[in-house]
Amino acid sequence: LTGGVAVLPAPQNLTVLSINMKHLLMWNPVAQPREPVLYSVEYQGEYESLYMSHIWIPSSRCSPTNSLECDVTDDITATVPYNFRVRALLGSQTSAWSTLERPFNRNSTVLMAPRMEVTEHGLHLVVKLEDPGPQFEFLVVYWRREPGATEHVKVVKSRDTPVHIETMEPGAMYCVKAQAWVKAIGRHSTFSQTQCVEMQGEPL
Amino acid sequence: LRRCLISVDRSLIEKSIPEVKRVLQTKDTFRNVTILSTLENLKSIKPVDVCCVTSHLLTFYRDRVFKDHQETSLEVMRQISSIANSFLYMQKTLEQCQVHNQCQCSQEATNATRTILDNYDQLEASSAALKSLGELDIFLTWIDENHQETSTA
Repeated sequence: LTGGVAVLPAPQNLTVLSINMKHLLMWNPVAQPREPVLYSVEYQGEYESLYMSHIWIPSSRCSPTNSLECDVTDDITATVPYNFRVRALLGSQTSAWSTLERPFNRNSTVLMAPRMEVTEHGLHLVVKLEDPGPQFEFLVVYWRREPGATEHVKVVKSRDTPVHIETMEPGAMYCVKAQAWVKAIGRHSTFSQTQCVEMQGEPL
Repeated sequence: LRRCLISVDRSLIEKSIPEVKRVLQTKDTFRNVTILSTLENLKSIKPVDVCCVTSHLLTFYRDRVFKDHQETSLEVMRQISSIANSFLYMQKTLEQCQVHNQCQCSQEATNATRTILDNYDQLEASSAALKSLGELDIFLTWIDENHQETSTA
């Protein structure tokens, strides 16, 4: 209470969960018995915090929201630290702002090994890769399974899958693995599990 | 001497800048005046000067243009923030080059950016900022052309 007037508490424990360049801001709920509480999210890029610190920009998706999380992927468009703040809204009452403890930079996102499916189609290796978004490219590595095999590499944009790899020899076994690469943050994921496929037909 | 190269985020060129240009150029009342027009004749800038000119112009936008512009549209504000923070990231990349002495400034490069600043100062700050934001595509195209591994600018 402040001067006998109930003060709406600010949301606590702001955190960012970022996987494959999808960034989710989350916070703890503000408990209020009777009415649903709304929340309002604002952000500041490093430019604003350094040169225009009074400027906070309402998030494109959550101003306001009744959820306890906010997809801030579209707000974070540069590889610089971003500050976030959240406040609670209840009727005409607004809480104080609660600010993310440490600014978030998208270069800390967790990059998962890509999900991959390898099949054979008329002596072609067909590699299907999940599409996590336009910022992703893939490094597809393939080789014929034999002693001293040479690895071949193909760079693929996320929109260009499935990948058809050139003609293989009948009856031979070919193996494939893939890695995701995000140029905007200059990082790549670990490799996927290797998958091997035997080409139809009699060996030459 | 390895050239200093930066890459431009495609979403900047394909989304943020066209959006800002579309909205702001309708408010530009000084149609026959340009700020960055000199970039048309910067084609003669030698590759070794590209880093310095880029750095000066990023600083110009950071310290003058983004500050002098007052924006009321939330969507345009978001796009300008996106551009300003991307420029900040580019500048950090260029700073790596300056550390390795790859960002020398010839007199010609300094004169080129001096002309742009003079153009800016001819107008009242908010008008000049509005025009400069509307001309961002000129600057980004110039960066894109001059910061390619194989560019022959």
